[in-house]
Order: sequence, then structure tokens, then C-alpha cells
Amino acid sequence: MRDEETFVAFAQGARERLRRTAYLMCGDWDRASDHVQEGLIRVYVAWPRLEKAGREHAYARKAVVSAVLDAARRRSSRELVVETGPDRPAAGDLAETVTARAALLAALAELPARQRACVVLRYFEDLSVADTAAALGCSQGTVKSQTARALDRLRSLFEDSPLGELTVAGGTSW
Amino acid sequence: MVNEVRALLREAAQTSPQDETDLSAVLAGGRRRVRRRRLVVVGAVAAVAAAGTAVAVVAPGGTDPDRVAEHRVPRPDGPVLRLSDAGRAVAGRDYERVAAFTNKNLVWKNGRTFDGVTEDGQILIVELANDITNQARLALRDPATGRDDWLPDIAPQLRPRPISLGRDRLVFSVDEGLDVPLRTLVLDRATRTWSQRTWPGLPSSESYATATGPDGRLYVGVRASAGSPPPGGWPTGPDGEAEDAGGEGDTYDLWSVSLTDSSDVRDEGLRVGSFDFTDTALVWSAATNGTNDRIHVRDLATGAEHDFDPRSGKRCNLLGFSATGDRIVLGQYCGTYDDGRDDRVQVLTTQGRTVTTLQGDSIDGGLADGGTGGGGHLVAVQAWSGAEEGTYVYDLATDRFLRLTDSVSTYSVGGPTPAGELLVGTAYGEGKAQDPDPGMDLGSTQTLIRWAS
Repeated sequence: MRDEETFVAFAQGARERLRRTAYLMCGDWDRASDHVQEGLIRVYVAWPRLEKAGREHAYARKAVVSAVLDAARRRSSRELVVETGPDRPAAGDLAETVTARAALLAALAELPARQRACVVLRYFEDLSVADTAAALGCSQGTVKSQTARALDRLRSLFEDSPLGELTVAGGTSW
Repeated sequence: MVNEVRALLREAAQTSPQDETDLSAVLAGGRRRVRRRRLVVVGAVAAVAAAGTAVAVVAPGGTDPDRVAEHRVPRPDGPVLRLSDAGRAVAGRDYERVAAFTNKNLVWKNGRTFDGVTEDGQILIVELANDITNQARLALRDPATGRDDWLPDIAPQLRPRPISLGRDRLVFSVDEGLDVPLRTLVLDRATRTWSQRTWPGLPSSESYATATGPDGRLYVGVRASAGSPPPGGWPTGPDGEAEDAGGEGDTYDLWSVSLTDSSDVRDEGLRVGSFDFTDTALVWSAATNGTNDRIHVRDLATGAEHDFDPRSGKRCNLLGFSATGDRIVLGQYCGTYDDGRDDRVQVLTTQGRTVTTLQGDSIDGGLADGGTGGGGHLVAVQAWSGAEEGTYVYDLATDRFLRLTDSVSTYSVGGPTPAGELLVGTAYGEGKAQDPDPGMDLGSTQTLIRWAS
């Protein structure tokens, strides 16, 4: 028999943080909830061995990130990986966005899903390069190059707007 | 106005509407999936058979041969080796194990890792604290006795990465983030004292590339240009990932500095992509982290130069670059096709002839030894997925290609080693890539291998 009580307690405690991460990756709170639901189902499936190994939180984050990327993956191969939700301002003309926060969301929407995931995991979740690589199932070199490209793009979008410079406090720690 | 990424992300995620995630739906979905998974094992046999049939129909040309040609992994120019061509490396005949260490909980605690091997055969151990200080401690282990010699403490918050591990001194770069001056940390092994060095005359850069020259100077690439994604972002590949094959590369301006004199900074007047040194030559590409169609070789004694087109595929992004003796090793990602990723490790002579290209789906490789003292000749290839998962070794001296392990670590740990020795990582704990529901590895086992050439 599965220990559903401990799973539910874990899910209740973890879901809000997971939803924020998913939101930053997909730009829409409703879709973020869907991604968290899918991620938590994956956690449920793996729960017995996760609980035993004490890896619930890291696995849940990986599962939700994977659910977001899977959703992007189901798109046509001809389509650009740009997911713009109703919570985001239109991407492109940052000069018209009201706040730097909204501008960042718009700029994130222009990035490929995997680059967006790197930015969110590194700078919202504050994961190390190694942990980000583990969460995304790729090499640390890929995380570094994807993050660098993402930051380049974000910076250039800010530079072209009246909002000023975009910085990373404390550097990137690699 | 200055906008900080972390602060903006936190602000953006702060005002979340009511969470309506339905945990009862999660439980119901989870229970269904647990039942379904047991059925998948039976269904998988049929799925494999069906895939085999489909390939048999399409491969001869099908109804649209152009599409088949366009969407299948292309064959590189010149001789090609695949993972299936590798023999099995045998302990005692092809190599010997010098030392091994397992970190059983890298996923939660940093702990200890092997970060390289010194010129005199001592293993560099780095231990990172698992707390807010992130304090690093370093030791040298004598593999013959297993005894650890802990080195004097370094300042908190520094994460040293070894650049060169000599008999007299150990040189590390210190990670501090973007747009900060390059800083090194040097241990004088005789006096056991640390010193830090920066070079006021060296331009700041968002990222640096470094290599130690045969003259003992540190050569530094200062970023000159960064490739940009195409307008509108990268397209999606057949695997659903952003497809950045054939991307625009980055370039660096080459400078050199003295490791003992902060005022000794020299602009080498050369724009490069990647660069490396053999004992007698400086070798560089025109671009890196994108497509590259030119490799240059400069004789360090005479200054004579020649260059050539490496004839890498048109979509190949240059990701890894090293040179040793009369060989150049290029790590490349060349696109994703209907039948998988096109990853390559191309081995060329310094005259431009391709010796072989190791080609595979989800492989990554480069020169693995000689980072300490030069003279390396072992190309290590990691294969990440499927039945071919493992570390393979291609010996530049003998052209032998052997499979060393059946597992690779999800953690990139290791560092420079002397010629003929390499650090190999294997997974500890669950998390093999082919698992239907993969988790990450708990930790990693690192083995120091001495290769028999």
C-alpha cells in the first residue's frame, strides 16, 4: 500500500513553489497549475523510492520542469518555441511595457524553452550549474552555454528599451 | 536604471492567483499511471517491432527520398567510427585502476570530488561545504598510500578550478561571475602559501577562455563577439528541443599574462574562436560555440602559419577544442534529425587531414589527458543514453577505440591529469538515462585510470 498521506502532505507543502517556477517557465498561471499537476503525478509514481532516498523536492522540481518542456515539445517542428500567455505583455517592443518585471517576462517569452528553464532554475530557484544540469538532464556545459545565450538575449532586449541595464547580482557562480 | 534578474523573477512570481491544483486529481492520475506502467512493459515489444518495420519501408528511399536525405543523420567526410566499433577495454591489459572514490550524495551535499592529478601524480581533492559559506578545502592525496595532505585554507566563497597542477605550484581560476576581472589563486607548494593575482591591464570580459602556453604564460581569450540566435528565436528540432545547430559562433581576442607579474600583460593581436597549444604550435579556430570553417596553426619557433578548412559539417557547432602533438580534436553538435542527434568528435592532423570522426547520438568527447604537463593522447567519449551508455577511449597514439565503462555520471566532475591518465566518472545510485521515469544520480564514482599504450 502506498503511503498516500505523506505524499499529500508533501504535495501540499511543495505545490506553491513549484507553481511559481512553472509560471516563470510558461508565462501562464493556469498552465502552470496543469504542469504542476502533471509533475506531481510523476512524483506519485516514483514516490516509494523517492521517500526512501530523501529526494522528494529535487525530483518534484525535475518532474515539473520536465512537464513544462514536454508541453513545448508537443508543438509542430516548424513552430518557434515561444509560449506567450495572457499574463505576459506582447513580446518585442519592451519600450511599451510598464514595468521591468513585465519586461522580463516578455523577454523570457522570446527565449527557447530550454534557455528559459536555465534562467529560471539558476536565478529563481538559485540552483548551481550542476543541479540545473541534473534537473534538465543535460551536461553542465549545456547549462552554461544555454544560460549565457539566454542572458545575452535578455540583456540586449533591455538595452534596447528605456528600462536600463539588466544585471545578475553576485554573478553566475561558474 | 539597473534591473537585477533574481529580484525581477521573484517579483514576477510573487502575486500568484489562488492555486486550484486539485490534489485528488493528482492522486487519481497517479494511481492510474501506476497501473498503466505495468502494462507498458508488455506493449513495448510490439512498439519495437513496429518501429523496425517502419524503418525498413523508409530507408530505401520511400516516396520522398529528399525528405529522407534531409532528415536523417548525415555521414561526415572521411573515416567514421561509431560506438559499436569499439572493443572492450580489459583491466590489466588495456588499463589499470590507480584510485577510486565514491561521493554518495552529490545531489544533496557537495562533499568531496577528485578535481585533477598533479604532474607528480598526487590527486587533487576538493571538498565543498554544504552550507551558505560554500567553503572549499583542498587536499593532495598520495594514491600509493591513500594519505590526504590538506592544504592551507583559502578565503571563503572562492570556488577554485584548476588550470595547471605542476610540481612547484598549483594554479586555479576563481569563479566570481560575469564581467569581473580574471583572478587566479596560486599555491606555492614549497612554502605552502596561497597568493591571488589579477592583471589590471587585462580587459574585463563576460567570459574568459584560458590555456597555459609552453612558455609558462597564461593565455587568455577575452570575449570579442557573441553569436546571436536568429530573429524570433531558435526553431524546434524533431526532438522538441530548441535547435541551435549551425549557429553563429563566438570570438575572443587573445591576450597573455605572466603568472608571477601582474604588470606583465600582452595583447597577442589575434582574434580566435577556441585555442590550444601543442609543444611546438599555437592552434586556433576562427569561431567557437557555433559553426567554424577555419583552423590556423602557428609554429611557435619560426612563426610560420598555415590554415585549412576542417571540413566539419555545415551545421556543426564547435563545442570542444584541443590540440596535442600533431593532432587536433574537435567536439561538435551537428543537429538533430528524425533518427537522432548528430554528435561528433573529429580528429584531424595539424595539416588538415581528418584521421577519423567518432559519430553518435548523444555523445560528447574531447582530449582527456595531458591537461597537466601536456602530451595527452587519450580522447574520452561519453555516451549518455541507451544500451551504448558509457565512457569510451580513443587512443591517438595507437588508433585503438575501446569501451571502458557502461555508465556515465550525470555530474561533470574531474580536472586536468598527466598524459596517459584520466579521471572517469560513473553513476552512483539511481537515475540511468534509459529509465522510463529517470531521476538524477545520487552521486558519482570517480576512478583514476592509467592507460596502457
